[in-house]
Amino acid sequence: MESTVPEPEKGVAPPPPPPPPTSPAGCFLYDIILRVLLFATTLVAVLVMVTSKQTEMTLVPQLQITMPVDAKFTQSPALVYFVAALSVACLYSIISALASFLAMSIRSHHTKTLLHFIFMDTLILAIVVAATGSAGAVAYVGLKGNSHTGWTKICNVYDTFCRHLAGSLAVSLATAILLIMLIMLSSHSLYSKIR
Amino acid sequence: METETKAVGDGKVVEMSKGGRKIRRCELVLRFLGLALTLVAAIILGVDKETKVVPITITSTLPPIDVPVTAKWHHMSAFVYFVVANAIACTHAALSLILCLVSKNGQKGMKLVIIFLDLMMVALLFSGNGAAAAIGVIGYNGNSHVRWNKVCNVFTKFCNHVAVSIVLSLLGSLSFLLVILLIALSLPKHK
Repeated sequence: MESTVPEPEKGVAPPPPPPPPTSPAGCFLYDIILRVLLFATTLVAVLVMVTSKQTEMTLVPQLQITMPVDAKFTQSPALVYFVAALSVACLYSIISALASFLAMSIRSHHTKTLLHFIFMDTLILAIVVAATGSAGAVAYVGLKGNSHTGWTKICNVYDTFCRHLAGSLAVSLATAILLIMLIMLSSHSLYSKIR
Repeated sequence: METETKAVGDGKVVEMSKGGRKIRRCELVLRFLGLALTLVAAIILGVDKETKVVPITITSTLPPIDVPVTAKWHHMSAFVYFVVANAIACTHAALSLILCLVSKNGQKGMKLVIIFLDLMMVALLFSGNGAAAAIGVIGYNGNSHVRWNKVCNVFTKFCNHVAVSIVLSLLGSLSFLLVILLIALSLPKHK
């Protein structure tokens, strides 16, 4: 890509522009902060989802008796996927925060590091977003039910369970936004890098 | 790609423009793939409709009554989301394809905007895929814990179409993902 206009893009580029001379260290500082936030949000999402078990007395139609029935996240494959994906993202956030810290302390060729960060972040973003979508779809059916297929809603019975689900989904949405911010930060500092 | 990045780092202009052109061509192909795949996925699920006659028992004393039941995509909100997400991504792919063809190598700052929009599309598409796939799995297997019965033993054709549509859309979103990686590769050469 040959450039037509030589210099003046520093003013144009959007939000967190650390001034170019201090660029690498500054961008890695923001990077580490965002990654720590990422760790916190993924951990909270996983914990809220895992602790969402609720037991209620319900009528079992085959036996015609009321007995305690659990609602757990392991009963739905989508929620299991959600927990697995967010755990992977949590692990990744630890590793990448360490890598980012190392990159900040070693002052050298950062282009490759930033490229790797962009690749991995995009991958994790895809995984987290797919997990949020699938868990959200199941939770929505649980909330509203579906008359066409005869799937009844369960959130009128398992209210705490559903509230945990909603909280976890909201936090995982924040995770996705954080990942997008991370990717934009990396690509911005890659873009406005002075060699 | 790595060698090209390095070559640019050393400031070899010829190498750079050659690599840049290759990346650009790849990007065009991938955008076109994304456009086609998301369009086909949206259309397949959008026109999907199956009517089956299902015997329904009202009381055990009467014989079961045959009732025609239709499965359509807008009966399930996850499928609606899927179709809308694919349509939006398809529109974005078309617009960015035009932009790619028209603009000569893009203005400064343009790439960041494009990469941001592409990221949004990847997020949208993957969440739509996740949602549709989760509902599809419940429809296929049912869920005994909450007594959601499977529906795919009745609406076989409908379920197959949904599966095909999800796979196509997944491929489309992968091509969007690759576009982001390509743009990221071409970012350092931009100066």
